[in-house]
Amino acid sequence: MTAGRREAFDVVVVGGGASGCVVAGRLSEDPSIRVLLIEEGPDPQPLPEVIADPRRQAELVLSSPYVRMYEAERQDGSSLPLLSGRVMGGGSSVNNLAVVRPMACDFETWSAFGGEAWSYAAMLPLMRAIERDDDFADDPIHGDSGPLMLSRGFRLDDPADPPVSALIEAAGALGLPPCPDLNQPAPYGVCASPYAVKDGRRQSSAVAYLDPARGRPNLTVLSDTSAGRVLIDGGRARGVEISDRGGARRVAAGAVVLAAGVYHTPQLLQLSGIGPEEELERLGVPVVVPLGGVGENYRDHAVVYVTFEGTTELREEWVIPKVRLIARSRPDVPVPDLHVFMRPTVRVAGLPPMLPVSLHLLEHRSAGRVRLASADPASLPVVEPALCEHPDDVRALVDGIGLAARLAAQPPLASYYGPMVSPSADDEWEAHVRTTYDTYHHGVGTCRLGREGDPGAVVDPRLRVHGVEGLLVADASVLPTVPHANTNLAAMLVGEVAARVVAGRPLAAVPETPPRP
Amino acid sequence: MRLRGAIRIAATPSATWAQLVAPVSLAGCVPGARDVRQVDDRTFQGTVHAAVGPMDGEFGFTASIEEASFPDTLVVRIEGVDTVTRSRLEAAVRASLSEAPGGTELAYDASVGVHGRLAILGEMVLRATASLMIDSAAACLRRRLEAVDPAVAGPAGGVT
Ligand SMILES: Cc1cc2nc3c(=O)[nH]c(=O)nc-3n(C[C@H](O)[C@H](O)[C@H](O)COP(=O)(O)OP(=O)(O)OC[C@H]3O[C@@H](n4cnc5c(N)ncnc54)[C@H](O)[C@@H]3O)c2cc1C
Repeated sequence: MTAGRREAFDVVVVGGGASGCVVAGRLSEDPSIRVLLIEEGPDPQPLPEVIADPRRQAELVLSSPYVRMYEAERQDGSSLPLLSGRVMGGGSSVNNLAVVRPMACDFETWSAFGGEAWSYAAMLPLMRAIERDDDFADDPIHGDSGPLMLSRGFRLDDPADPPVSALIEAAGALGLPPCPDLNQPAPYGVCASPYAVKDGRRQSSAVAYLDPARGRPNLTVLSDTSAGRVLIDGGRARGVEISDRGGARRVAAGAVVLAAGVYHTPQLLQLSGIGPEEELERLGVPVVVPLGGVGENYRDHAVVYVTFEGTTELREEWVIPKVRLIARSRPDVPVPDLHVFMRPTVRVAGLPPMLPVSLHLLEHRSAGRVRLASADPASLPVVEPALCEHPDDVRALVDGIGLAARLAAQPPLASYYGPMVSPSADDEWEAHVRTTYDTYHHGVGTCRLGREGDPGAVVDPRLRVHGVEGLLVADASVLPTVPHANTNLAAMLVGEVAARVVAGRPLAAVPETPPRP
Repeated sequence: MRLRGAIRIAATPSATWAQLVAPVSLAGCVPGARDVRQVDDRTFQGTVHAAVGPMDGEFGFTASIEEASFPDTLVVRIEGVDTVTRSRLEAAVRASLSEAPGGTELAYDASVGVHGRLAILGEMVLRATASLMIDSAAACLRRRLEAVDPAVAGPAGGVT
């Protein structure tokens, strides 16, 4: 269905990403709610193979038109590319498909900002409602009938290829136990990775939540359509200004839900006059509600690569889709703070094979921010990620390099890994971390939640923007800290929360089953 | 990306210099380069094949000697485009030679810029590749020069 020029909606959802599709899909289950979903990117039908086929993920990110790149910088001025999905499904249509729940400790942190509704116990029913995980169908913490199908290409009790069993054995020798269920409240060790894949096809939020809703008469979907600002009058959101190839126009709505992602939701708020006063003045945007936290508190995960010379060629898919390590950078850190992946071989003619290991720091102690380059909605915001600024973050990654070196030297894995190439054993590892870190593409936090009176809070614990009626934020930008996990599922969870809030359903439900200790 | 280091070669600075400023000789030390051809007395072109996991691509490059003033200023500019992401890579390599015990120290300082999606793979792929390429090119230079002047070579420098 297309939106008529004078059509009004009960709810406009801006951004058809990981979270926005959840919001639109869930809200439109109620036929009395007229929902409009606006997505800036295309909504290609049928889904192009490069998106649908998980084996083409590298090609999707490296050369498809569905990815947007933001130029950020490390502290030494070198360039650091950040990415987002610009297509229906957003990040969930271009990401690596890992489905990882935040750890119980993350909910504990978030409930300090948002109260009981953000506790693990209150969120467990929503996490169960999202997923169908047939590998753990009998486990009360898992869902068996949610829209998102999880699958594992490999379970720890499956027969493993020699390099995979070598990794499991080497990790075990370093004290990392087998952890068959990565989505338990406090995972640690050698984990079989769950992916959003059903019958070999990507399960983005667009596939899992939007596709089943597309035929509903109360749901309108506009792709290739961009929101420029929220229309606010008398302290209340009244709709959005949108533009497409045909030009700009206004759409009226009873409520506006912003789900444009961690870079663009703060941009939309600022363009609507909601943000830090000095920033709005710099941009020449009239102040509607001064909210200092908009665009601040950017959190992400830093990634550092350690590359070894390979002693042999390893089949490209040997580990990535199968196993990840959840490890501690030091034995005394309270929460596991690293994801470790053995990466496939890099081959360059004339050189020995290279085997990278990636270390993903699951914490970010300093905070970055997102600033607007200009008041033009089409210009990309400037991201200052501030990764690896805090000495403890750098220290954890340096320790992670040591862990990778020990792992690669551990029999039987040592038969595949030769000497360290980058950094070498003699290089300054701290300098390597500071000058080469990358990102896991897990940005959150730029419109963080918090109670009234919390100076950095942009939305309240029910995701309503402070100071404006009828305006919500429902994406990864509301999360106050980056979870010890990949972020897609957390974004979907935010979508589930927003749908309940807009539909007027209670939030902190009593869990149907107690969480596992 | 910035790559800095030093290589020891058991040959005189002038013999080392002669190898570096001759495009044909320099091209012969780029590991894995195919279809190498000299364009003029300062420039050569070639192709390197690379694969990252399931992705395969070619990197076509042009290398030109921009400045050459013995013994302390050699600037080589390398530009290229890859076939997968169509990204542009630009590198400026500054090298200088100085006498060192047993021969010559070749110090290099390269800054590499990637414009386009290849940057996504940057730190995973390019740094280690550059490091191994430098090792391999250094070994090649040593082979050539030390065959003429077979003194013992010092340790190779690294990438910082
Ligand atoms: C390359 C990559 C790999 C990743 N891998 C994983 C992984 O394996 N597992 C995991 O859990 N997480 C992963 N992530 C992170 C995860 O995808 C994100 O956390 C998640 O997509 C965030 O969801 P969101 O709803 O907040 O925003 P997004 O999914 O980014 O959605 C925002 C949407 O809003 C649209 N939009 C923006 N501005 C406007 C506007 N003005 N008008 C209309 N629409 C607009 C965008 O086009 C986009 O579709 C990855 C991310 C990337 C980029």
